[in-house]
Amino acid sequence: MSFSLAHALTGLFWLGALLLLGGLARRASLWQQGRSASVSWLGLLAMPKRYFVDIHHVVAREPAVARAHVAAAGGGVAILLLSALNYGLMLYQGWLDVLLVLMAAVMLLGARMMQARRLQAPPRLSQGRWQVLPARLRLFALGSLLAAALLFAGPQMGMAGQLIAVVALLMLALGGAELALGIGLGWPMKHAVAGLLHLAFHPRAERFAAKSSDLKPLNLAAGELGVAKVEDFAWNRLLSFDACVQCGKCEAACPAYAAGQPLNPKKLIQDMVAAQSRGTDPAYAGNPHPGREAAVLVKPGEDIVGSVLAAKTLWSCTTCRACVENCPMLIEHVDTVVNLRRHVTLSRGEVPGKGSEALANLRNTDTVGGYPLAVRYHWAIDLDLPVLQPGEKTEWLLLAGEGAFDMRYQRALRALVKVLKAAGVKVAVLGAAERDCGDVARRLGDEAGFQRLAQANIATLAQYRFDRIVTPDPHVFHCLANEYPAFGGQFEVWHHSKLLEHLLARRAIPLKADATPLPPLTFHDPCYLGRYNDGFNAPRNVLKGIGIKVVDMQRSGRDARCCGWGGGAAFTDIPGQRRIPDMRMDDIRETGTGRVAVACPNCTAMLEGVVGERADVIELAELVAERLA
Amino acid sequence: MKIAVLIAPAVHPVSGRPCAGEADLAALALAQRLPGQVEVWYAGAADDAALADYLARGADNIHSLSLRPDSDVLAALGSALQGFDMVLCGARSGGGDGSGLLPYQLAEQLGAALLPDVLDLSKSDRQWRALQALPKGVRRTLQASLPLVASVNPRAATAPGWSYARLQQGKIQRKAATGAALAPVVLEPARRARALVAASKVSGHARMQGAIAGGDAKAAGVVVKQGDSVEKAQVVLDYLRQHQLVDF
Ligand code: SF4
Ligand code: SF4
Repeated sequence: MSFSLAHALTGLFWLGALLLLGGLARRASLWQQGRSASVSWLGLLAMPKRYFVDIHHVVAREPAVARAHVAAAGGGVAILLLSALNYGLMLYQGWLDVLLVLMAAVMLLGARMMQARRLQAPPRLSQGRWQVLPARLRLFALGSLLAAALLFAGPQMGMAGQLIAVVALLMLALGGAELALGIGLGWPMKHAVAGLLHLAFHPRAERFAAKSSDLKPLNLAAGELGVAKVEDFAWNRLLSFDACVQCGKCEAACPAYAAGQPLNPKKLIQDMVAAQSRGTDPAYAGNPHPGREAAVLVKPGEDIVGSVLAAKTLWSCTTCRACVENCPMLIEHVDTVVNLRRHVTLSRGEVPGKGSEALANLRNTDTVGGYPLAVRYHWAIDLDLPVLQPGEKTEWLLLAGEGAFDMRYQRALRALVKVLKAAGVKVAVLGAAERDCGDVARRLGDEAGFQRLAQANIATLAQYRFDRIVTPDPHVFHCLANEYPAFGGQFEVWHHSKLLEHLLARRAIPLKADATPLPPLTFHDPCYLGRYNDGFNAPRNVLKGIGIKVVDMQRSGRDARCCGWGGGAAFTDIPGQRRIPDMRMDDIRETGTGRVAVACPNCTAMLEGVVGERADVIELAELVAERLA
Repeated sequence: MKIAVLIAPAVHPVSGRPCAGEADLAALALAQRLPGQVEVWYAGAADDAALADYLARGADNIHSLSLRPDSDVLAALGSALQGFDMVLCGARSGGGDGSGLLPYQLAEQLGAALLPDVLDLSKSDRQWRALQALPKGVRRTLQASLPLVASVNPRAATAPGWSYARLQQGKIQRKAATGAALAPVVLEPARRARALVAASKVSGHARMQGAIAGGDAKAAGVVVKQGDSVEKAQVVLDYLRQHQLVDF
């Protein structure tokens, strides 16, 4: 009897393996719709490190789920390996059966934990097949346990043994189908295969070496104009969509989703899956884009935007990267959003709201607001701020950015210059030679406009001599530091928070000596300083350095909620139930401090634009200037 | 039907860079709405970059008559546009030295009817009917038969959004042309302007009161004093919706 059960297991194993391979081949043919991409096969070797280190960084933020996954997945993989040895290769060793029993118990435990979580599933989790997956995995684990135990203790059992064997085989077949058919039919266990391959062939493999948040340039000369159809995605980008486990962590973090704008990042990724699988996968069973139907109409061969994806969904994104930061499968939503926007902007010229006006202003005046370049430094007219001439040299070059045209932010800029002067920092500006950095153009999909501005700025900066650039605008900072190098612009750029931190640490800023403690306040992390550039500590150290205690909001640092400006969202202005800055102001109110420090001209404008009773919005440099002796 | 659209670069009011003129764009968009074959024409000394905006906003092929600066474009245009049924151009140029006389002179030269400041064109029987914009929102219908020249109001139609792909695909075909020298500009001292007289002597505050105060029956507005902020906002929203000032 045990003899025949063993052979049945061998058969089952190879049947499963064949089904899995066939399914993988089918899925791979879907990925092959995409463009070729330069990937390194060495990624396969790097996979374990990426799995155990990089994914762990994200998953460890939810320890209970992480433990359940370790048990279920670890147990599952061990069962598969042991079965491959013992039954696949027909070794039929008793001691392997003992190990199998142990591993099956581990997996059973993990699946049990997952099932318990599913009883009170948070709304961000998808239902449907995902909801029953833990039960299926339990079945598989139990089947393995029974079969292995039976084989070990088999000969002693008679009729009962045969009955148990049949039950175990049934359980194995039912549960195992989930694993074997998942990849081919787009069932949940697709994530295991696609997820591992995604780790190996990640479209942004450099993120495993160091922080990587820059958008990648389009080769305009070669006619690249963004993604219109599924075939315009790189194949490994299509693969990355299949890695999604529909955990909804991106959904829970997304400010646009919370504001009721028609964007759910999880659904966005699933829309891409639907587009590439031409709707053959099981229907999506999670939350839709707010205000829209969950079902999508896939029309093969048609542009993605306008068929599976509404343009409004695309334009709701603030590119805040909260989704990317939280995704356990390391999916890069922002890349996809911008790639799709590029097509809509560059090919169709359909940028909604004030977005097209902003782009026209950039084309015609090199400023977002349509201002004359010559007035950018009018606020500094009495500050004796030297305008650098070609050939002259300065230590620090200050780029004020678009905030220089905003009367509110000019106060912050004046405070910054005052502090720098008090600290004896040699600083100069470009005056009318400074153009917009191109951030808004790029995030709105106008890659051509961005490249023009980037190249013009790089050529301009090459005419001047300076040691470093300092800017209070995180968007200018991000563009120059991370996105200009692709165009040959290598500059050392500091955000002003870092310079202020540096000066305070060296006691270069003469501060008032009085000991009256300052009231605490809270700090709003700008996305493009924080999540984009890991600049979490510098602003907090500055506040500490001037003796102010920071009461952090519940969502701060890595989890900070966007102010709603980024990605040109303040220009496209897609309506929702609420406004993102209003929600952020609620976060601020919760701290009870009544004051919030900001470190970005755009956060300043968005938070000050909140109507009604609100907290005072004060720029970092203004707080330091108040403390000047 | 053959339609010619005349375009010329405008001067950006802030930066002074060449860009597309609003009225010329409207002429282009209006022409593309009409049944017929549209050709886009330019005459003058501007380089390709100055015409780029028109390519990006929907002109796929621009015929450019290259003239020396300071020459009159009329003769060159006049001979190039023989045989067109309809010529559309902006009602005024977007800055620069344009005099606004071109449509009139061109109509004369082509022996065509002129429909000035047009908002819309439609066919009725064998005639073409134009909706003309007059000051203070007054509209008037004009009628003419082909061939005709129409100068188009900037609000007549909206050209497609600026697209890099269209810019790349668009072509400018240059043809050399000659034009007579422009008549020299004669400067005259300005005549004294007549001082404006207000129609009514009532103060602004009083007029505002008249518009909103609830005193007499014919008061134009509503003052909402009751209700919380949401209800008050609802009144404003209803008003805006009723007048189609918001679309959500
Ligand atoms: S995209 Fe990432 S975070 Fe969002 S549901 Fe999928 S796996 Fe989860
Ligand atoms: S980048 Fe921010 S706004 Fe955009 S989808 Fe992700 S979380 Fe939402």
